[in-house]
Amino acid sequence: MLESYFPVFVFILVGIAFGFAPVLTGLIVAPHRPDSEKLSPYECGFEAFEDARMKFDVRYYLIAIIFILFDLEVAFLLPWATIFKEIANTDSVRWFGFIEMMVFIAILVVGYLYAWAKGALDWE
Amino acid sequence: MEFKTFVFYFLSAILVFAALRVITSRNPVHAALFLVLAFFTASGVWLLLQAEFLAMALVLVYVGAVMVLFLFVVMMLDINLDRLREGFWGYLPMGAIIALLMVGEMGLVLGGNYLGLFESSVRQAGADESNVQAIGRLMFTEYVYPFELASVILLVGIVAAVALTQREKRKNKSVNPSQQVFVKARDRVRVLQMPAEKRD
Repeated sequence: MLESYFPVFVFILVGIAFGFAPVLTGLIVAPHRPDSEKLSPYECGFEAFEDARMKFDVRYYLIAIIFILFDLEVAFLLPWATIFKEIANTDSVRWFGFIEMMVFIAILVVGYLYAWAKGALDWE
Repeated sequence: MEFKTFVFYFLSAILVFAALRVITSRNPVHAALFLVLAFFTASGVWLLLQAEFLAMALVLVYVGAVMVLFLFVVMMLDINLDRLREGFWGYLPMGAIIALLMVGEMGLVLGGNYLGLFESSVRQAGADESNVQAIGRLMFTEYVYPFELASVILLVGIVAAVALTQREKRKNKSVNPSQQVFVKARDRVRVLQMPAEKRD
């Protein structure tokens, strides 16, 4: 089974190499004649005068947590989809596989409607 | 098998290093990013254990979603970097006790197999079927009730997040055109008849 992941491994290695190669080539090949103006953060314009760390609006957090919840829903859908035919072909539980997932989604839709009705998805 | 062992030790070394950096790096944003690295290598280790679905779920859910949440929390809290390390020695005894307890618990859980406390009940997936199907078969036939409970827990999560972060809507400054059109002059201006008063 692990042999089938070898292409993925190769892709990871190629991806890393692809990221590092231009930077390394630039370091080795390009001429280096730095002066104080070139090394300054901005050649023109203001120097940074404020801390980059500032408070984020709490609404980003809300969007992130709603994203997590529906991400998890999709993660549950995947094994269900692979096994769905097999469950549907078992006589005793013919509709069972369908109904259980519909109940699962319906419960989550309640949360979605709540967030929508409360205006959590509006940004103003 | 030889190469597999090498990959395992390689991933484990990165995992331990990343986990150490999570708790030792001064910058909380760096700590969160090292946690991402730890999740990635842990999913690699799980892949070696042939737990494909769990490995993919770890990358999708934890790296993709949970870490976004962590980063937002870190950025939302106004953390003063200089004051983070204060009180390290004060917290050390309590932290050490908790760490010892956790190590003991994990030792009991993980070492149970070696001590002969119980036989491993983990079923090995057959060679011809994928891990995802094995999980799906169990989850959607035998463990349906916990599965539906999971959706209720997710619902509680949504409602709690909305209730905690939702604020009163800001007074909107836009105007409603139809209301403007139907406004009559007497609604806005009242002309009063007042007798002139005489000054004395």
